[in-house]
Amino acid sequence: MITTTLVHFSQWLGASWLSSAVAGHFWVVPALQTVHILSVAVVLLGVLLINLRVVGLVERGQTVQAVLDRFLRPVGIAILVLAVTGLLLIAGEPTRAIFRTIFWVKLALILTAGLLTWSHRQALAVSGSQGVATTTLRKGIALLALLLWLAVIVAGRWIAYVDAWPGAPA
Amino acid sequence: MSLQDFAIWLSESRLSIALTDSELAFPALESLHVIALTLVVGSIALVDLRLLGLVWRRREAGDLIGSILPITWIAFAFALLTGLLLFAANPISYSANFYFLAKLGLLLLAGINMVGFHLFAHRHLATPGALAPKLSGAASLTLWLTIVTFGRWIGFTL
Repeated sequence: MITTTLVHFSQWLGASWLSSAVAGHFWVVPALQTVHILSVAVVLLGVLLINLRVVGLVERGQTVQAVLDRFLRPVGIAILVLAVTGLLLIAGEPTRAIFRTIFWVKLALILTAGLLTWSHRQALAVSGSQGVATTTLRKGIALLALLLWLAVIVAGRWIAYVDAWPGAPA
Repeated sequence: MSLQDFAIWLSESRLSIALTDSELAFPALESLHVIALTLVVGSIALVDLRLLGLVWRRREAGDLIGSILPITWIAFAFALLTGLLLFAANPISYSANFYFLAKLGLLLLAGINMVGFHLFAHRHLATPGALAPKLSGAASLTLWLTIVTFGRWIGFTL
């Protein structure tokens, strides 16, 4: 049933003006991918600095609060740009990503890694600026979040290499 | 030996054949290359934007550079290693590709700009309104954005 809904969605998207706008010129897809990868750079550097600061490996001259204040907003904006460019890339080739399990794994990983990274701010709000950010649990959450962010990239690259679901439109 | 001669020699090597035969090697290397290159570009862009005075002005540029540069170098080592292995998987096509060759040239220019920064502009970091660090940051940002763009274009022009 989910597949049927996705088939309808991909047919609707493939017939839309958005799809022909993306597929109409050869340079649009590589240009969108370039913006996508530059936004990945913003996200990955931001979450690396945030999570490794919580672990205590980088930026020890700055408080966890200062690093969160510096990078959470740019990371959030970059994720929005990634969503828009990602949707446009799907519009250009509607059968490519959404009928592959790894694409949905990627989205679940983004959600989980994003929430775990965001949770450092909530932990700080509860504990004040010093306490919780240095507990072993918090450091473990930071390492897990970073590993999940790296897994997002691997999952994204794997979309190009795995088979679609049986019966998915070609 | 030209790059083309090297490419032909490399394409017949055991490394190249092993990389071509493996279904996992290429996507795995691509994933590691994306992780490494985004950290290289992200960390360099952060420093460039600070040099231009566009972000984080309350923080001394020298302090930021000292903190960020180890990340840039570790990521660059990974990007270089995975890049060489990706090249080894298809050396003849890459060495004949305009965007690949242009990307190598731009990487060289970015390296020269970096050396120039550390030799000349670096000492003016604490000078208010100094032009040299700003020029260096602008050149670096332009070069790296173009390097990423050309890198993505390689995949569409092989």
